[in-house]
Amino acid sequence: MRVPLQWLREYVDVQASAEEIAGRLSVSTCEVERIVRHGVADADGNLGLYRVGRVVEAGKHPNADRLQLCRVDVGEGESRQIVCGAWNFGVGATVAVALPGAVLPDGQRLEEVKLRGESSSGMILSERELELGTDNSGILVLADGPDPGTPLVELFPLGDEVLEIETTPNRPDLLSIYGLAREVAALFRADLRPMPGSDPARTAEDEVSIRVEDVEGCPRYVGRAFSEVRIGPSPLWLKARLVSAGMRPISNVVDATNFVMLALGSPLHAFDRLKLAEGRIVVRRATPGEEIRTLDGNARALDASDLVIADAARPIAIAGIMGGEDSEVTEETASVLLEAANFEPVGILRTSERLSLRSEASGRWEKGVDPHLAEPAARLCSQLFAETAGARWIGEADVKGDLPARQVVQLRPERTSALLGLEVEAGEQRRILESLEFDVGDDLRVTVPTFRSGDVTREIDLIEEVGRVKLDEIPFTLPERREMFGRLTREQRLRRIVEDALVGASFSEAYTPSLVTEDVRADALRIPQPQSFDQAVLRTTLLPSLVEAARHNVSVGNEGVALFEIARVYLPDGGELPREEQHVAGIVEGGFPRAKGAVETILGSVQLQGSYRRGSHDLLHPGKTAVTDHGVVGELRPGILEGSWGAFELDLGSIELSDHLRYEDLITFPPIKQDLAFSVPDDVLVGDLAEAAHAAVPELRKMVPFDVYRGEQVGDGRKSIAFRVEFRSPERTLTDEEAAAQRDKIVNVLKLEFGAELRS
Amino acid sequence: MDADAVAAEALVAVEAASSVAELDEARVRYLGRKSELKQALREVRDRETGMALNSARRRIEEAVAARQAGLERAELDRSLSEERTDITFPGEAQPRGHLHLITQVRREVEDIFLGMGYEVVEGREVETSHYLFDALNMPAGHPTRSPLHTFFLDDDVVLRTETSPAQIHAMEARKPPIYIVSLGRCYRRDTADATHYPIFHQVEGLAVDRGLTLADLKGTLLRLLRLLFGEEREARFATHFFPFTEPSIEAYVSCFLCDGTGCRVCRHSGWIEIGGAGMVDPNVLRFVGYDPEEVTGFAFGWGLERMAMLRHGLPDIRALWENDLRLLEQF
Repeated sequence: MRVPLQWLREYVDVQASAEEIAGRLSVSTCEVERIVRHGVADADGNLGLYRVGRVVEAGKHPNADRLQLCRVDVGEGESRQIVCGAWNFGVGATVAVALPGAVLPDGQRLEEVKLRGESSSGMILSERELELGTDNSGILVLADGPDPGTPLVELFPLGDEVLEIETTPNRPDLLSIYGLAREVAALFRADLRPMPGSDPARTAEDEVSIRVEDVEGCPRYVGRAFSEVRIGPSPLWLKARLVSAGMRPISNVVDATNFVMLALGSPLHAFDRLKLAEGRIVVRRATPGEEIRTLDGNARALDASDLVIADAARPIAIAGIMGGEDSEVTEETASVLLEAANFEPVGILRTSERLSLRSEASGRWEKGVDPHLAEPAARLCSQLFAETAGARWIGEADVKGDLPARQVVQLRPERTSALLGLEVEAGEQRRILESLEFDVGDDLRVTVPTFRSGDVTREIDLIEEVGRVKLDEIPFTLPERREMFGRLTREQRLRRIVEDALVGASFSEAYTPSLVTEDVRADALRIPQPQSFDQAVLRTTLLPSLVEAARHNVSVGNEGVALFEIARVYLPDGGELPREEQHVAGIVEGGFPRAKGAVETILGSVQLQGSYRRGSHDLLHPGKTAVTDHGVVGELRPGILEGSWGAFELDLGSIELSDHLRYEDLITFPPIKQDLAFSVPDDVLVGDLAEAAHAAVPELRKMVPFDVYRGEQVGDGRKSIAFRVEFRSPERTLTDEEAAAQRDKIVNVLKLEFGAELRS
Repeated sequence: MDADAVAAEALVAVEAASSVAELDEARVRYLGRKSELKQALREVRDRETGMALNSARRRIEEAVAARQAGLERAELDRSLSEERTDITFPGEAQPRGHLHLITQVRREVEDIFLGMGYEVVEGREVETSHYLFDALNMPAGHPTRSPLHTFFLDDDVVLRTETSPAQIHAMEARKPPIYIVSLGRCYRRDTADATHYPIFHQVEGLAVDRGLTLADLKGTLLRLLRLLFGEEREARFATHFFPFTEPSIEAYVSCFLCDGTGCRVCRHSGWIEIGGAGMVDPNVLRFVGYDPEEVTGFAFGWGLERMAMLRHGLPDIRALWENDLRLLEQF
């Protein structure tokens, strides 16, 4: 919202600068995004260069058909010659003039110039050039009266500093200049003036017929009738206010309703009373199939949940959102029905979202407007109708449901101090609350004003009121507790260990989205209405996402790609919520051995050894895939990515981090090391040989293959595998004879089980 | 003969030798079989003379050995320096990967809070609306409860929009005092752009204890901001609104790029918005069975991406999900 400060200062007597006001508001009230200057800049005497002028001569420019050559009295004794492009005035007109040296609202500095051979020492201004409105069809012709030379700023606001603020949803009361003035008054200990507006005289007692069929949707409806309305442009001060607040002036009646909305926060609507069937207002839900053409020119189909303002025959406005074209106030309008009502927020929000139709009014209603505001809003608007459109007030109806009673909340001032960590005297707490228009009783029983009823219902809410005003004074402390111990859990430590192990093994960490286009599991959880196809399914596996990450890197020419990710997968298991597992997955250039090396690194980082069995996986080569107790490792199927890639995915939850590893003496008794080579049938697995050997000989501590050979010397269908083996006893140094006996045992077992032959 | 005089002369000669060969000459001259000293030793008769001669011999031998070592070292250096390598040539590559930037920030935040005595708790990413909304005092009609903002799997099951449900679970599972942080993935139906991504990471902290104050919250966040952004940083707080805290505040850190003088990053205000915080709403405490008259609490929830992007000058949040090695390897 835009908050023009001159306007604000009409309601609160505060001397502080725009920066000071913005600073205090942004700490204690709402975010102030920036301060902007609207209209003519007020610096270095600039305002004084804008004056009232009287045209004393006007005629065609001798060298240009479209230009007028004028002499204008600006109170200097001698008149100035000014060239002007507009023709909507003549001799005697009172106009707005900027003198050479003036800085225009668009930032340009006006200079003495020659236009088609004639000097021009000044500029006759249009509304748009003054940022008073959008009209640029001619220059601004002022009402007669003020003397030439009078500073323009004495007639209407030439410019203003405007705060652009962002309010939170709990504070609909801040969506008004008066509401912000109230805050400023509290923050600067300044006087808040009474709410503006006083009723004009009522000159007749016309009946105003208003029926509210849906009191819940519309707890308050004040309808006021006016006659002898003369529609026309608003006075300049009113235009200036609206434009500085970001609204376009339209006509005096419409501008008055908008002015009151901005000033007080309660949106109003003006109907052409003569266009209402039977002159009646009925507030009701729409009937299915009803339609309305709204002020923006669009036909809107209504449904039974939409609240409408109707006359005897048809909807004439979508309540709280937008009026209808049929009952619009036009230049011919002479009789006006003013609506100052209150609408329930949720229904307005629903209709506004359904129709994708938002307005200044709906934005306020959907946040909740104080029902008690309808009355002062009607009052101020009536005053403006009378003053700006010559309207006569001739009748009123006020329909209200049960308006909420004001809440009473007990405040314990010591509780405030205890919660804030700042000693605030009870008297100061009272002052703050009273300045925010809370009524505070002797015993600090606090009656909440109706414009804060949605937000302040409990003691803690009152404490917040004090706290936000005192926020900058609250010190920086730390909790007093000393017995606090922070430590990562085993799972958290495991995650870090694995991350570090993989980084050490040259893998870089990837983050890929948990929502994917498709998943291997048909029962994977789906988002019912995904916003885009690639965020439709909660993945049950990480690998496909890593394949895409690798593909990206390959496509941009990155080399040596090795990526891993640790993230959740979401496994449906019949319950209300899926089982969430923490997985670690990786992808790496270089095929099966690289991937298996990474898995061994992970398991090795927590002193585990895996056992590997043949397995299968959608993405992996059927001959080069292994499963372990923790997951799968293999080579990517050819064709998925160019070249040879290894991949793995393990369930981190299945890996246990042991807290109590025991020392094993590998130093006192040295091992005996030997190299053994066996010839075996081609389909025998190295792992099976080692497993059988270990089972047969407890002193066998290591059996690591280091060479595989196929060829003539071993014969068809066979291969030779060379192992480095170590025999070691924890109790003594083994003799060569003992080692030989153990070796023979291994040879026998492997021969028996696998047809293995020891090669010399 | 005068043993001392011979020794003195020999030491000078040894010291003067500028090569191993010269030294050898000197050694032969003073210690060789035909040397004056050796001859004198052969002829010695009395103990006193013998001791004096032996002492002189020892001194000369030591000097020769020392000089020998020095000359050999110098000669080796001379020959080694001829095998010079190009020391500006890159070393042998020791391939090493990189932790993702978000992980690095996550660990840093975890460590800061571990240091302050907090525990790190994990939570589910798929939650019930009960824990995500009801427990957090989120009224019906709150925008976050709309499927336009939140991923619903069905009416009751949602992807968490913040990590707070983990805190509710933690509070339900134990009694105060509680000092915890939870970090992890959160989900909101944002359209991806330079500063939004439907998946993001949050760190939320929660403390519940007797006598905790808004001042404690301010102090805790000031520590966090200084540890993350530098000890010279200042913190500022502004009132705000969240359903689950009362009072609610928003934290700002003095701009670490311009030091408060105004720049593009801080939008010329000198302050950078970091995230929300507040005193735990009594309704939230009551929801988990705590008595708000007995204990109070504070909480905050900040985005890890935002911290990382601010600190490292990353312009586009989407880059964090691209996993391009050219980015990953920078951190």
